[in-house]
Amino acid sequence: MSSRVESQGSKTLKRVALTVLTFLLMAIMCIPGLWVILAAFRPNGEILAKPPVWIPENPTLTNFEKIFGFGADQVGIPVGAYFTNSLIIAVTSTVIALAVGMAGGYAFARFRFRGKGAIFLGLMLFRAVPGIALSLPVFIIWSRLGIIDTKFGLILVYVSLNVPFTIWLIDGFFRQVPLSLSEAAQVDGCTAWQAFWKIEFPLARSGIAAAGVFAFLTSWNEFALASQLTRSTSSKTLPVGLLDFTAQFTIDWAGMCAMAVIIIIPALILTFLVQKHLIAGLTFGGVKG
Amino acid sequence: MAILRRQNATPFLLLMPAFVTMALVVVLPLIFSLYTSFTGYRLIKPESLYDWVGFRNYTRILSDPDFWIAFGRTVLFLTVVLNLEFVFGLGIALLINKITWGQRTLRTIMMFPMMFSPILVGFQFKFLFNDNIGVVNNALQSLGLSDGAIPWLVDGKLAFFSIALAEVWMSTSVFAILLLAGLFAMPRDPLEAAKVDGCNAWQTFRHITLPFLMPFGYIAMAIRSLDVARAYDIVKVMTDGGPAGRTELLWTLIGRTGYDNSRMGMANAMAYFSVILSILFTWYFYRKLVAARRYMGGVQ
Amino acid sequence: MRRLTVLALGTALVSLAGAAFADAEWGDYKGYTLRVKLIGGAQYEKLYAEIPKWEAATGAKVQIVSSKNHFELDKEIKQDIAAGKIDYCVASNHTSFAPQYGDIYIDLNGVIKPEILAEFDSLALKNATVDGKLVQLPRHSDISNLFYKKSLYADQANKDAFKAKYGYDLAPPETFDQFKDQAIFFAKAPDFYGTQFVGKDEAITGRFYEMLVANGGALFDENWNPTFNSPAGVKSLQWFKDLYDAKAVPAGSLNYLWDDTGMGFASGTVALDLDWAGWAAFFNDPKNSKVAGDIGLVRAPKGDGGKRSGWSGSHSFSITKTCDNQAAAASLITFLTDHDNQMIEARTGLLPTRTKVWTDAEAEFTSQGNEFMANVFQTYSKSMAEDAFTPPLIAPWIEVSNVIWPDLQKGILGEMTPQEALDDAAAKAKTIMEDAGYLKN
Repeated sequence: MSSRVESQGSKTLKRVALTVLTFLLMAIMCIPGLWVILAAFRPNGEILAKPPVWIPENPTLTNFEKIFGFGADQVGIPVGAYFTNSLIIAVTSTVIALAVGMAGGYAFARFRFRGKGAIFLGLMLFRAVPGIALSLPVFIIWSRLGIIDTKFGLILVYVSLNVPFTIWLIDGFFRQVPLSLSEAAQVDGCTAWQAFWKIEFPLARSGIAAAGVFAFLTSWNEFALASQLTRSTSSKTLPVGLLDFTAQFTIDWAGMCAMAVIIIIPALILTFLVQKHLIAGLTFGGVKG
Repeated sequence: MAILRRQNATPFLLLMPAFVTMALVVVLPLIFSLYTSFTGYRLIKPESLYDWVGFRNYTRILSDPDFWIAFGRTVLFLTVVLNLEFVFGLGIALLINKITWGQRTLRTIMMFPMMFSPILVGFQFKFLFNDNIGVVNNALQSLGLSDGAIPWLVDGKLAFFSIALAEVWMSTSVFAILLLAGLFAMPRDPLEAAKVDGCNAWQTFRHITLPFLMPFGYIAMAIRSLDVARAYDIVKVMTDGGPAGRTELLWTLIGRTGYDNSRMGMANAMAYFSVILSILFTWYFYRKLVAARRYMGGVQ
Repeated sequence: MRRLTVLALGTALVSLAGAAFADAEWGDYKGYTLRVKLIGGAQYEKLYAEIPKWEAATGAKVQIVSSKNHFELDKEIKQDIAAGKIDYCVASNHTSFAPQYGDIYIDLNGVIKPEILAEFDSLALKNATVDGKLVQLPRHSDISNLFYKKSLYADQANKDAFKAKYGYDLAPPETFDQFKDQAIFFAKAPDFYGTQFVGKDEAITGRFYEMLVANGGALFDENWNPTFNSPAGVKSLQWFKDLYDAKAVPAGSLNYLWDDTGMGFASGTVALDLDWAGWAAFFNDPKNSKVAGDIGLVRAPKGDGGKRSGWSGSHSFSITKTCDNQAAAASLITFLTDHDNQMIEARTGLLPTRTKVWTDAEAEFTSQGNEFMANVFQTYSKSMAEDAFTPPLIAPWIEVSNVIWPDLQKGILGEMTPQEALDDAAAKAKTIMEDAGYLKN
């Protein structure tokens, strides 16, 4: 009797220890990032101090004030415009990339057709071109089409950037969903379309959510192409705005960190919200055979 | 065993949007790049676009030892970084999978490094590793672990390590999230069966969990091997390939040749070597992916 | 009665004429939209807050098509040239980048009135001239002088020890040799360093170049043969190497750029810093810097050739050839660089390019009791007037720089001797100059 209680106790202890350990590990992993966030609330002098100042002595909001233009005689950075641009571009390109990804992923997972392997591989190979080789021709073509400095232009590029990945990933998740489930639903009277949305889509949810998060963060944080294809506040995104803090000689490190915080917070919120889809509510035990 | 639907137009229709976007954004520019690699194209002299030089750019590259050293270093970098990211990502995913309390928060924390733009990561680590006023050296000195200012970004091996660390920090979360999603998608039956049959944790892991996860792992590796070209931002900011070319990777070389030196034709020729490298990596992972799926007895 | 009417009429006429004259000062471009590409960043954008004044005076609108960081803007303009799409009138420029852009910008000598040009520093205008054409109107300049920690030099113990070791009195250095001595003397790695230098990109090439000139050498001869591997060049490279080997500079210096050296001095761990005027205000601000209030400033040291180093450059504005209203463009850039606007920039520590603004700014700082900035302006105005020079204003300059700096690094690190490193770089530079058609072989 007492041994069972003891083993129960030790199991809980193990679980608690594991939880604590994991949280600690995560915290350590986040230290470089946390340092940046902390720096946003400190003046430059404190950040660069040697010997280092570990506990902030003069926490301040001046970096943020400067960004938004509330500082003494500063011209603020058009953060609002950058933010809106980033949001529209990232969300739109993610939604489209997911749609294309689901269509394509489904095609690969459920169908057999000629050249399937080659096309699958080929899609990914298009991603093989490094940005450097791609950026100038894209710029020239975009400029002929007149879509430089437009949100549309950037969305188009980001969609193609994300599509290979969404297709590959979502295909992987659709494969895990047994076809028998969909067929059972169709026997019960659903059309293939309905079966897809009622059965296959929810079961592949965690993969689609993962793909969505990844696509969003890729677009949200992308710098090189955005810097090429945007010019003014009609389409400039937040990462490009980061460089506003670097002048020819100086880096306003504290300002850049503050800007980084502004960039990170929406991403964090969105990720947290999408979390619940990351769990697949699998009931594979339900259907046998 | 369910029968796959036979070929009809549906799959191609489903794939059409993908084809169109890729064609516009990738194929056309690719052809343009390929053409320019045979010319002496310089950005600031648009007429030089028509200055056909045949294979001169390629021969110059093939005989340039600096290029090949950078190439080799890039391959090494990719291999090291991908393996580390996979292993760490797997470890983190397994850990988080076990935790029940506060898992949602943990998952968000795990993705924290993904929220940093690569260019920010570059500045961040450049600063952390600054030998005079950087946090790392200051911490080491305060703890008494080192008495000197370690030149993280100057010494050949240390600089490689620093860049790799920055890249691993940024992207391990990608592997972690994919493998975690894979763990969630795993059917419980085989695991239950294994427990009933008396397998211990390691055996279960090695023979059931891991093979199931490998396809996701290969997908992640394939995409990351291509994505690591985004590490260009990190390397450019942290060391710009220096000092004395010690951390020169293909991409910093290409960037400098193309934009600073304005030798676009030459840069595109180099880029094609980089493309071949990426193709090799991707093809390799694709083969592994197919093999892993076959092993699992899954659909082809 | 009649006299009053005459008087009234006269006043009216005069005021009308005055108003017309005021408008005539900047011109009337009502309804025109002037497209511009300007350099972005907090330091530079303060000036742009004045643009509405110009818009009000001329009736035109300014559309800022792009506002980017220095290097990104350079890339962007190169791309515009490649795409053949230069659809803007005014662009921010810089003396180091200008030669690469070919002939997309017009010669301002016919477009901006000579009386206005006469109010600018003649040396600044000379440095803004490429191939005999004034392709840019200088906005503000920068050049380096020697900042140092005053307390170190005032300390008696230091003075005695230095005199004992080196045989001359401790005072801020007049020559590069003294600079080296003192840097080595003050260094106590890893807590404190004598000085620091930038270690890569055009930055180190520039520092090497200015020392080469100070030591009596030259990058090229009059036929464009590379001559920087001369004894003067070797001595210059040796200077960096000696400091590095003696650990008088941080070990990471070879990866440093301007922000690293600036932050380094501000952190109080460096004794001497040859740095740009743009940092002065930052260094003296207690919120940002630990050496605030303890900073001394002397002019850059001399080399063996009896010259001071003076690598400098100016940010500027240019007008494109494709501009459809050059008069409006000229009006805007003249406005942006006029006396009052240069005063605004000078107050933040940016060095002016108009002769009168130097004296006015210095006077203003003195009247405010800001002795530090007054001293900064006094010192830097002499440097700009007497010592300033730019890198060769030729298109392949950046490419040449990109083969020089890796070899400089190799020389400092000891992978090659300084002579070998410079010889190697000279050979590569020769190829570039031949390819570019400058060197007839």
